[in-house]
Amino acid sequence: MKRLIGYIAIVGLLSGCGMFRGGESSTESTAAANAPGITSEPCPLAVDKNKGCIYLGTISDLTAGPFAALAVPITDAQKAFWKRVNEAGGIGGKYEVDVQAYVRDNKYNPETHRQVYNEIKDKVLGLAQTLGSPTTAAIIDDLKANSIVAAPASWTSAWEFEDVIVETGSNYCIESMNAVDYAVETYKPKSIMAVHLAGDYGADAAAGAKIAAEKAGVTFTALETPPGATEQGRAITEITKNKPDVVIITTGPADMATIVGQTAAAGYKGRFIGTGPTWNPALLKSPAAPALKALYEQSSPGKSWGSDTPGHKAMRDALPNVTPNDGYTSGWAWSYPMKAALDKMVAGGDVSRKGLLAAVKSLATVDYEGMLPADAGNFAGDANAATFRQTLINKVDEAAPTGVSMVKDFYTGSTAQGYTMDGPCFQKL
Amino acid sequence: MKGLLETVVRGLGNGSVYALLALGFVIIYKATKVISFAQPALMLAGAVAVSYLVEVTGFYLAVPLAALMIALLALGIERVAIRPMVGRPVFVVAIITLGIDVVIRVVVNHYIGRDVRQMGDPWGFDQVSIGPLVVQERWLAMLAVTAVLVGLLFAFFRYTRYGLAMRAAAYDQETALAQGVSVGAVFALSWGLAGFLAAIAGMFVGTGQGVEQLTWIIALKALPAIILGGLDSLGGAVIGGLTIGVVESLFQSYQGDIAPWLGQNFAVVSPYVVMLLVLLVRPYGLFGTREVERV
Repeated sequence: MKRLIGYIAIVGLLSGCGMFRGGESSTESTAAANAPGITSEPCPLAVDKNKGCIYLGTISDLTAGPFAALAVPITDAQKAFWKRVNEAGGIGGKYEVDVQAYVRDNKYNPETHRQVYNEIKDKVLGLAQTLGSPTTAAIIDDLKANSIVAAPASWTSAWEFEDVIVETGSNYCIESMNAVDYAVETYKPKSIMAVHLAGDYGADAAAGAKIAAEKAGVTFTALETPPGATEQGRAITEITKNKPDVVIITTGPADMATIVGQTAAAGYKGRFIGTGPTWNPALLKSPAAPALKALYEQSSPGKSWGSDTPGHKAMRDALPNVTPNDGYTSGWAWSYPMKAALDKMVAGGDVSRKGLLAAVKSLATVDYEGMLPADAGNFAGDANAATFRQTLINKVDEAAPTGVSMVKDFYTGSTAQGYTMDGPCFQKL
Repeated sequence: MKGLLETVVRGLGNGSVYALLALGFVIIYKATKVISFAQPALMLAGAVAVSYLVEVTGFYLAVPLAALMIALLALGIERVAIRPMVGRPVFVVAIITLGIDVVIRVVVNHYIGRDVRQMGDPWGFDQVSIGPLVVQERWLAMLAVTAVLVGLLFAFFRYTRYGLAMRAAAYDQETALAQGVSVGAVFALSWGLAGFLAAIAGMFVGTGQGVEQLTWIIALKALPAIILGGLDSLGGAVIGGLTIGVVESLFQSYQGDIAPWLGQNFAVVSPYVVMLLVLLVRPYGLFGTREVERV
């Protein structure tokens, strides 16, 4: 019995996953023989039955993984985005786009991600979403081998070096460089600590913070912390003990709130700047809310839900009855480069995976309908030239739909401006 | 010294949550010889029940109501899914409890939704000074409530007829049955008590930081606690839980300075290291009954 308990404890700890599979659809149909994921038959949910169909797959964290709170809105926003595209005439007047027939759940597990990817890869032209850095890393070689273009739901700097990945907005590394530059300018800190999760989310941001802090001549320390609100004891102890002037934090929202709330209660008075995924509007109801309002700001690769741009308005109109969440904003904004590439592919006449990849490589700007500057969609140059370097800073604002409002519009800090993107940042921490 | 004592208080606070969960495991094990892996789900369900009830009844009424609800749920589970399996190998029943855990969590996750749910507790992250020490109020609340519950539980087993019946059934089911003890009622009562304790533990886990879908993983830390204390020892469960809490807290505060070569976050695995060390030295736990098998 003890041995059984041991096995189960270990299995439970390592997997942390459920046993159910979601996102299944019964509308799957076979692709045309000439190009995978493209049919002359209309889409299952076609607006215009005379148009052909381009199938895009979605692999996301839909049920049991740690990012389901973001992943479900991202996926819903992308369904709404492509529905709007189809209603507006589709792609080049010839095709509509289906993102509903091949939706798969990765449970944030790389092995599952690869498995479901293999199930759908022959039936789709590209991926409208591949969520997570380690999960996407599990399929990146196959994506490249088959010229399958994919829109990532993650901001790691590694994507700058992959032609098949159409990322939108600055990566975590640039975002944290800008956060540090903002902090140096605004709060004049003498010491900065990066509190981060392991891997190419947390370590990518911490590496950016380190590069910027060293450039500014500020003392820098990095503290890796495990995920889970109850596991933050060490981070709290280290912050209250060392009292850095600014903490750049890259964790999940509950972890962040625990750290900010408990260090503030213990008398810490420094500033926190968290990366985009550290915020969740539900934190305003938590006991950490007063501390968050006093000490926390969010760096972000894009403007929040309630922003006044044509893209944001179109998104809000397309998603009328949802609780505002910037997962929707991200999912919607991430879809513009794929749409631009599909338009260009169809206009160019080579309607195939290779045609799509060629179209991506020729995109120097993308029209985000104001959600992001057009040069955020530069996929034409080399990694260093194409890396988008603008981010913004939000503050906690109870009146805003997602609990944050902008304090500093899109800007490029001096560190990010002069930085040569010559490899994924997280390898440099 | 001050820092050390504050670290210990934090460890005792978190450890009392592990102790409550461990007590649930041990009570069910003593009555039925089965480890119930449904405890994490019952803990999560308790926390979520509090988070909903608190909006209607206020915190202090929500906690006992939620604990009673989860006790009733546990009673129901025992009656429907566990009782028909009496006499089957304990391994089979343990696996059934795993299935029950998953089913309950899937249902409860629906009620948690995608955000963090708050307990509405009066403590938050507030701190209080005790002499030179500054500690969080919720750790003291955890410790105090656990002390009271453990006292009541031990009095229940020592002084009440049902407590006596449970002890008798734990000692020898057939003899207890022959003496008129309803072993079925004992089974049910053990599940009810475990559910009650798990709900209180869940509420405490949710204080301050709230509860989300992955919060159930914390309940797994009760497993090293029961191995440490001994699978069939109630006192062992309490001491095991508190020890695990303190060990974890000490590692969080000091391992980075004293033994940085262990890596940045050794505290996460420290409960399991303690469990393995105890298993090596005392395979039946610090206070467990040594198993004697005559061949």
